[in-house]
Amino acid sequence: MTRRNFLWNAGGGLGGIALAQLMTEEGLLAQAGQHHPAKAKRVVQLFMSGAASQCDTFDYKPLLLKRSGEAWDPGEKVELFQSNPGLVMKSPWAWKQYGRCGRWMSGLVPHIASCADDIAFVHSMISKSNVHGPATFMQNTGFILPGYPSAGAWVSYALGTLNQNLPVFVVLPDPRGFAPNGPANWSPGFLPAAHQGTMIRVGTPHPIYDLFPPESAKFITRESEAEGLDLLAKLNRAHMETREGDSRLDARIASYEMAASLQLSAPEVLDVSAEPEATKKLYGMDREITADMGRRCLTARRLLERGVRFVQIWSGADNGFPRRNWDSHEDIARDHGDMGTSMDQPVAGLIQDLKARGLLEDTIVHWTTEFGRMPCSQGSKGRDHNPFAFTTWLAGGGIKGGVAYGATDDWSYKAVQKPTYCYDVHATILHLLGIDHTRLAFRHNGIDRRLTDVHGEVIRELLA
Amino acid sequence: MKFTIALAILTAAAARADPASFQKDVLPVLSERCGICHAAGNPQANLVLASHKTLLEGGLSGSVIRPGNPDQSLLIEYISGEKPRMPKVGPPLTPQQVELIRRWIVEGAKDDTVAAGSSSSTWWSLRPLVKPPVPKLTARTPVDAFILAKLGEKGLTPSPEAGRRVLIRRLTYDLLGLPPTPEEIEAFLADRSPDAYEKLVDRLLASPRYGERWARHWLDVVHYGDSHGYDKDKPRPNAWPYRDYVIRSFNKDKPYARFVEEQLAGDILFPDDPEGVVATGFIAAGPWDFVGHMELREGTTDKHLARLLDRDDMVAATMSTFVSLTAHCARCHDHKFDPIKQEDYYSLQAVFAGVDRADRPYDLDPATHLRRQELLRRKLPIQIELQPYLDKVDQATSPEIVQLDDQTREWRQELAQLGTTKNDAEIALRKTLQEKIDQAGKRRKELVDGVVGPATLAEIDRLTRKINAEDQLLEKLPKPLIVYAGSDFFDRKSNFRPSLVPRPIHLLVRGNLASPGPLMTSGTVSCVNGLPARFADGGDEGSRRAALAKWITDPSNMLAWRSIVNRVWHHHFGAGLADTPNDFGRMGSQPTHPELLDWLAVWFRDDAQGSLKKLHKLITTSSVYRQSSGNRPDAHRVDSENRYLWRMNRPRLDAESIRDSALQVSGKLDLTMGGPAVRQFFFKDDHSPTYDYARFDPDSPEAYRRSIYRFIARSVPDPFMDRLDCPDSSLLTPKRSTTLTAIQALALLNNPFMIRASQHFAERIRKSSGELSGQIAAGYRLALGREPAETELRMLVAHAEKHGLENVCRLIFNSNEFLFID
Repeated sequence: MTRRNFLWNAGGGLGGIALAQLMTEEGLLAQAGQHHPAKAKRVVQLFMSGAASQCDTFDYKPLLLKRSGEAWDPGEKVELFQSNPGLVMKSPWAWKQYGRCGRWMSGLVPHIASCADDIAFVHSMISKSNVHGPATFMQNTGFILPGYPSAGAWVSYALGTLNQNLPVFVVLPDPRGFAPNGPANWSPGFLPAAHQGTMIRVGTPHPIYDLFPPESAKFITRESEAEGLDLLAKLNRAHMETREGDSRLDARIASYEMAASLQLSAPEVLDVSAEPEATKKLYGMDREITADMGRRCLTARRLLERGVRFVQIWSGADNGFPRRNWDSHEDIARDHGDMGTSMDQPVAGLIQDLKARGLLEDTIVHWTTEFGRMPCSQGSKGRDHNPFAFTTWLAGGGIKGGVAYGATDDWSYKAVQKPTYCYDVHATILHLLGIDHTRLAFRHNGIDRRLTDVHGEVIRELLA
Repeated sequence: MKFTIALAILTAAAARADPASFQKDVLPVLSERCGICHAAGNPQANLVLASHKTLLEGGLSGSVIRPGNPDQSLLIEYISGEKPRMPKVGPPLTPQQVELIRRWIVEGAKDDTVAAGSSSSTWWSLRPLVKPPVPKLTARTPVDAFILAKLGEKGLTPSPEAGRRVLIRRLTYDLLGLPPTPEEIEAFLADRSPDAYEKLVDRLLASPRYGERWARHWLDVVHYGDSHGYDKDKPRPNAWPYRDYVIRSFNKDKPYARFVEEQLAGDILFPDDPEGVVATGFIAAGPWDFVGHMELREGTTDKHLARLLDRDDMVAATMSTFVSLTAHCARCHDHKFDPIKQEDYYSLQAVFAGVDRADRPYDLDPATHLRRQELLRRKLPIQIELQPYLDKVDQATSPEIVQLDDQTREWRQELAQLGTTKNDAEIALRKTLQEKIDQAGKRRKELVDGVVGPATLAEIDRLTRKINAEDQLLEKLPKPLIVYAGSDFFDRKSNFRPSLVPRPIHLLVRGNLASPGPLMTSGTVSCVNGLPARFADGGDEGSRRAALAKWITDPSNMLAWRSIVNRVWHHHFGAGLADTPNDFGRMGSQPTHPELLDWLAVWFRDDAQGSLKKLHKLITTSSVYRQSSGNRPDAHRVDSENRYLWRMNRPRLDAESIRDSALQVSGKLDLTMGGPAVRQFFFKDDHSPTYDYARFDPDSPEAYRRSIYRFIARSVPDPFMDRLDCPDSSLLTPKRSTTLTAIQALALLNNPFMIRASQHFAERIRKSSGELSGQIAAGYRLALGREPAETELRMLVAHAEKHGLENVCRLIFNSNEFLFID
């Protein structure tokens, strides 16, 4: 048994554990060995906040085209979030087949569609809630309640870092605001705070909180900082000398050294200016509507290639007006139009760029949302929430491209073939990372908690 | 607080040397993977795999287990091999799972379960409370006698008493969450009387700062916050009176039983005491699904789900906080490890079936308070009578109404989409839209009136008048104060309405709303011997909560008394005697000193009459508490985690203590007590409000208040506090974790609050002396409670000469000595 393993099994004493835990330098499984060989090393998750419509993007239904404008009768009483069911409404975008796999996709996502052969779709996703907050929690943490660790925190806890100088789990929120639940979506829950997602506000003057002293602190200069940190280390070491056997004191000294390396590496990784124009273009940074998402997707690639384990990118802010997320109750064409266009090319660019660099092989790209939307209209142009069907997709890192798993009924109203909760998707992602989801657990208030709760099965059909 | 890392359960017993457990290893696998077909009722092959008894009995094929002989056990044959025959659903069991079951059979297939609901449990936490004899040893206090006895058993010896400087710093942080001032240190050092230490403890316990410090611990446990959490995360502007109530209760040393009873049912048990209403802020302390309650329509599945989970939170908070049980684990099935049945869980849901979280009026003047509560109660039967008619109105519909609603929605959305109007055309459009909406509203009323008919309208009118009459009487009373609390009665708002009579609670098969089982009455867990598990409440909401409160505080409820003394011990030493303060079940830790825990529980209940201050004094005046925290390699080899307390632990300060200390040391701490939560962020109310910490001025007056008065926004926690391990306020947190990260180092170095504190600190000590050396020495006394050593002084003076005193102050705040308390 390794020393580290011993410490974990012993329940965590005061020994080397403090150092081991610091900066999550090693995940729980790093030295103990993963549960099985991994296909992927890292994950980038794209979260479409507000509920992206499956029947306007990836879930093709000829019946909707045929019956559009007619009264909708799915053969049962339909319980909607806000409204009463309107008429059958086809998507405002035209559908076409793409790739060797011949997958039908809408004109809202032509760039992603061009990657069809790399993507595995799950068309039969369902949610336990049709309210944004709980449903968003569920996709992130596996629970519809607040207070649970998000998938990124779990991966950080299990695998630790690939790069001492950068955080393990990074979140790039939509600059217009936080999605429902705010930063609680990337909470470490009951896991140690070190596993929390570090928020980077790409493109702002201070992308990482407190990375440097505020400009107003004139008393801090480059020289004072260098000499001050040396002196601090000296004081701390002297303090430690009379307090032997407490490795936390040592760990804290090391944390300042790591802070200094983060200060050096973060600005470099966040500076995309030196990227070739062709790359920026690939991500759509040359067009206003795609510039921001493009920049964040490009930043994600830079983080991933430098060893960040888990990057979460948000498309969509809060549920306010004018609409700034995917919650298109009023007007699908207008609001999904903006959101889709702003997301499509950057996300496709990310897949293509990762692929070109050989990174897609061991990077999982996971595109998701909290639930879907109804095939009938709300008012005359919008769509209400649909917890009974939505689409999520995966690419790269051991995923079989060009396949689809599960299906909805002819309306895209309910998942009828292989209805799937996020548990199975999380189990599959963990599986590809070399983790058995049933064995990645943390005891909290008497329960061995898991990302997949007491559920989850690896979706073998998606594996390459 | 000890440096704590919860035990990670990666491989369960697979990697353990101890025997495989039926309860922990075998049953969970069987019930999860085989339970679908082999549950009681109509099991496949007549084989029930839900208990040890039925498993051993076997099924149609006879016995499936041969204790000691796995190769002759049918179960093993069915679940192992290349293509196992079972389970039929899902993948095969993992090799580890099979191996565990096999090992369990090899080891004799023993039953280590506590039969659910069994009345003769021997599990430590459920044993009746009996005061054990104090070990006959020479010791300062009975507490020490127990500790010494255990140390002796383990071949350990205690550490010598710490020095006075260390003691006053330790005690002041422990009891007040602040450092001692240089004057206080000097006074204590100079006090040569034999009871100098006891006097110090008394002084600290009498300080109002004590309540602020210990209320913070309590608020962690009950997951208090100043916003609702979830989607939108609206502010909860009236949560703070409960926070102040907790502070007041600690400072007044309210007897613990009364403290518990008030929080669950103060409004019922102590109707003439305004504190009784404020205290029920406990019930409402946790997060609340605003959209689920306010926006979802009555009768929808998601509405039922929102309420189910809301009650679940109340049940979990109550049972975790007061009796350290994980009763909420029995929502979908009987508790897998503890004797808690699903029926118990739903009886607890029934206790809260008539309450919601809502604003509630109260008055400081007892007479007014009593009068208002009485008038409010008088409205209740009228509301109950009125409700069916209002339901008719709610449900009234016709094609024209549907069309009108859809149209109105679109207009409203157009209006919302307009945002702030900028030009004349937009202003005109806004006006037109508003007029259309208003007209539609009038038209809708006409249509609805037509549907429900005149008789209903007349009844509504008559009953509304009656309510208005009561309202007029209420309006004559002085304006009430408001607390966000557990409320059985409040004015309806949007789709959020009181239950009026407790909502019916059904046992839910597998926790599924679509599979309701029998109707439940109110009650609690049935594993506490000698106390009734079901309540005779007569259908009355308040009686249910009162009954649960009385069940908890009953002198024979061993769980409650063990729970609280263990919590207090945890906060003094950084680890509880049982190190899982919210779980005294089989998944929790067993106590290191069970006799001491029981002795303390009985002593606290009987001798101290529930006085927390007496308990603090007993513990802090003990020799074990006064020990040095220094390491001793010999003892460390035997007990590296210091579970037996051969020395004192060395806590790292928690987030609030760090922040408050920086304020006190820099001379900026504002000791104003109580009142609305201070917003240490830029706030903008909106559909979803904005909480922006980057846009907050760390020199505004709000910044100087003690951290307990911070507005806690659940969804957007303060990144500075977050990085210092302030817990997620949606979680019940019995103990905080302590991490040391680069991001945390950066927060202490660079957060504008710490930068400004360094500057204020420098400003303050500059006044203390004409010399840099004198100034730095003053800084050391304020922040670290000691004189600087000569070498330290030399280095720091040189640094100050070159880079200014501010930089020296910043270093002191970042030093390990500032953060770790010996």
